[in-house]
Amino acid sequence: MFNPFTRIAGWQAFGLGLVFLILSGVIGGFGNVVFDGVIDTHLVKQLTMLQSFSYIAISLLSLVLVMWIAGLFIAKGFRFIDILGTMTLSKAPFLLLAFAGYFAKMPDMTEVMKNPMIIFNSISMVLFMILSIPVLVWSITLMYNALKISCGVSGGKLTIAFIAGILFAETISKLLIYFLL
Amino acid sequence: MLPTNCPSCQAQLKVKCLKCENCQTEVNGSYDLPLLALLPESEQQFILRFVINSGSLKEMASELKLSYPTVRNMLNDIINKINTNEK
Repeated sequence: MFNPFTRIAGWQAFGLGLVFLILSGVIGGFGNVVFDGVIDTHLVKQLTMLQSFSYIAISLLSLVLVMWIAGLFIAKGFRFIDILGTMTLSKAPFLLLAFAGYFAKMPDMTEVMKNPMIIFNSISMVLFMILSIPVLVWSITLMYNALKISCGVSGGKLTIAFIAGILFAETISKLLIYFLL
Repeated sequence: MLPTNCPSCQAQLKVKCLKCENCQTEVNGSYDLPLLALLPESEQQFILRFVINSGSLKEMASELKLSYPTVRNMLNDIINKINTNEK
């Protein structure tokens, strides 16, 4: 559950991860759930399928490229396809949020701006927010193990590279989304 | 499994005596254990399977039902142990 990469990596993980991401994109597109960052999920008023998949593509590319570069700093002799595959699969838990968001009813934002506590009146919205915490923890743990297995490193070196990688990837994805979409 | 460490002080053991089962001749001395014999049995088995699979990590991954990077990491761990033992 937290480290499937001892058994699956490379193209196999990439294929399986893509299935999860496509499902997340389709369900997110219908449910107005946007994955606008490496570790971000938000509910929006309107979302087209093209936008839904563009956000997912940008967040995945940012994550894979930054983690690959982070891997080059801490390890040698690892394969790009392992980083690509394991990182793609590590975003699979977001499918749960796509499902949850599909059923979540987003409150009127003008009302929320006036009184932020109104958001707690929507049970589905509260459940979505509560679910997002374990999903994020699960996905980040998977990303950590993806880097660990793909590069064959451990200890402080891995932890520092991973934290820096996540922060860089998140920043780059936000910048790309801001400038491209 | 061949013992490699002293049960009393954990220091590395040496071979003191070898015996021919055919003519009962004994060869005494103080010989170092082979590097591979110093590895745990599971790692010796890994090396054996690795050689049988012509050194193919892909074949090893398929045989052990593990991912390619996991098998490569196992091999790297063994290489590090051998390097440490060599020193």
